[in-house]
Amino acid sequence: MRHVGGVYRRALVAQIRSITEYPADFWVMASAGVMWNLLQFAFLTVLFNAVPDVAGWDYHEMVLLSSLLAIAGGSTALFCDGVWSTGQMVLKGEIDYRITRPAPVVVQMATTHIGMQGFGEVGFGLVMFVYGWIGAGLGLAAVPVGVLALVCTAVIECALVTLFCSVNFWLKGPMSNFAFMFIDLQNSAMSMPLGLFPIGVKLVTLFVVPVAFVNFVPIAVLTGHMSGWWLIGTPVAAVLAVFAATVVYRFGLRSYDSAGN
Amino acid sequence: MASVDLAYATITFKRKIAYKSTWLFTVLFGGFSLMAGLAVWSNLLGDGELGGYDWDAMKAYLIIGFLTSTLAWSGSDWEMANRILDGHVAIDLTKPVDFQRARAAEYMGGMAATVPSAIIGTAAAILIFQPASPVSPLAAVLTAFSLLFIFPLAFAINFLAVLSCFVTQRFLGIQWARDCLLAFFSGLMIPIALMPGWLQTLAWCLPFVHFTTTPASIYLGRVDTAGALGLIAVEAVWAVALWILARVLWSRLVRKVTIHGG
Repeated sequence: MRHVGGVYRRALVAQIRSITEYPADFWVMASAGVMWNLLQFAFLTVLFNAVPDVAGWDYHEMVLLSSLLAIAGGSTALFCDGVWSTGQMVLKGEIDYRITRPAPVVVQMATTHIGMQGFGEVGFGLVMFVYGWIGAGLGLAAVPVGVLALVCTAVIECALVTLFCSVNFWLKGPMSNFAFMFIDLQNSAMSMPLGLFPIGVKLVTLFVVPVAFVNFVPIAVLTGHMSGWWLIGTPVAAVLAVFAATVVYRFGLRSYDSAGN
Repeated sequence: MASVDLAYATITFKRKIAYKSTWLFTVLFGGFSLMAGLAVWSNLLGDGELGGYDWDAMKAYLIIGFLTSTLAWSGSDWEMANRILDGHVAIDLTKPVDFQRARAAEYMGGMAATVPSAIIGTAAAILIFQPASPVSPLAAVLTAFSLLFIFPLAFAINFLAVLSCFVTQRFLGIQWARDCLLAFFSGLMIPIALMPGWLQTLAWCLPFVHFTTTPASIYLGRVDTAGALGLIAVEAVWAVALWILARVLWSRLVRKVTIHGG
C-alpha cells in the first residue's frame, strides 16, 4: 500500500512539474474550469431572481449543491484524469507497457495526465462552497461534516469515473461513452434537489450508482433536509465505490488482449 | 460542393453509422438532459408562467433545445482535436486540400449521420410530452429554416474550440467549457428572458443564442415574421463571421506546429 501510494504521489508530482513547463496551457485550462462553474453560479443566481425556492431548497443551499459537484469534477481532473484514456490505450495496445511495470495499472493510468481545468474547478468550487456555507448559516460546529463531505465527494467521483471508463475494456472504442453519460446524467440531475425526480431516479442515485452521495446527501444532511443518519452512507459509499472500481478495472485488465496485427 | 468535400463528408457519415453505440449515446445524452429539464421546469412552473413561458410552451422550448444540442454535439470535434494533439495535423498540411474546409465537410457528415436519430428522438418527445404547437404554419417553416444554420454555426464554434488544442495539452476541459457556454448562452439551461437586462444583451450579442432561443422564439411566436427573418439573417452573418475568424486564427496558430524527426 505504501509502495502504491509512493508511486501515485511521485507520478502526480512529475505531472505537476511538467505543467510548469506549459504555463499558457495551465492558464487556459484553469480559466475554462472557472468559467463553466461561474456559469452554473450565474444560472442559480438568475433562477433565484425568478423563483423563491426549488423543491424547498433556497439559493445558498443550491449553491452548496453545485459547489460539491464542481469540486467532484475538478477532483477527477486532478487525481485520475488519465483513466479517461483507457479506451484509447486499450485500442492501441498501449497498456502492454504498463502491465510490465511494478505498480498497479490503474494507478499508472490515473496519473497519465492531469486535467488542468481541475485547478479552476476545485478553486472556484471551494469559493462557492464557502459562500453557500456562510449564506446557509452553517456554523463552525458543522465544519468536520463539511470536511468529510469534501473528501468523500472527491473519492466517490474518482472511483465512479474510473469504474465507467473501465467499461472500455469490453466495449471497445476510443471514447469513454459510459463515463461521459455518467457525467452528463450527474450534471443534469444532481445540480438539483433529488425531490424533483421520480422515485426510480432516487433509488438509482442512492443505491445503485451512489452519485447522490457525491453532493446531495451531505448537503441535505448539513442543511437539515435529510436525517443525520444518512451521513453514515457517505463514507460507506466512498469505500464501496473504490472497491467496485478496483475490482472492475482488474477484471477489465484480465480481458485485455493487447492490439492485434 | 466539390467532390472532395462530399468524399470527406461521406467517410465521416459512414464512420458514425458504423459506431452504432456512439450514435445511440449522442441521443441518450440529450434525452437525459431533456428529462431532467422537464422535471425541474414542471416543478418551477406549476400552473403559472415564468418569463412568458407556460408549461406547454416550456415543453416545446426544451424539446427544441434537445434537438439542437443533439445535432450540435454530433460532429467530429474529438477527431479534429486529436489530430492537432497527436501531431497528425502536420500530415494534413501536406495534403492539397484546405484544412478548415475538409474538417467542415467531415463535421457536416457526422451531423448528417445523427439527423435521423435526432428526428426520431424529437418525434418521440413530441408524442410523449405533447408540447405547444407552432404558432402558425409559416412559423413552423421558418423554425425549420433557422435550424439549418445550426450546421455551419456548430462547426464554426467547435472548430474554434478545437483550435485551442494548439496551446493546450488536453481537449476534455475545453470541450466541457464550450458545452457549458453553449448551454448557458443558448438559453438551454435557463431561458434568456429570465436573465437580467445586461445579461440578455450579452447573450443576444453572442452566436450561442441561435441554438435554442432563436428557433424557439420563432416557433412559439415570440417574434413576428419580420423578427424571425431578421434573426435568421443574423444567424447567416454569424456563420460567415465565425468562418472568417476561424480562418484567421488557424493561420496564426498553425505556426505553433513543430515537426520533429529527420
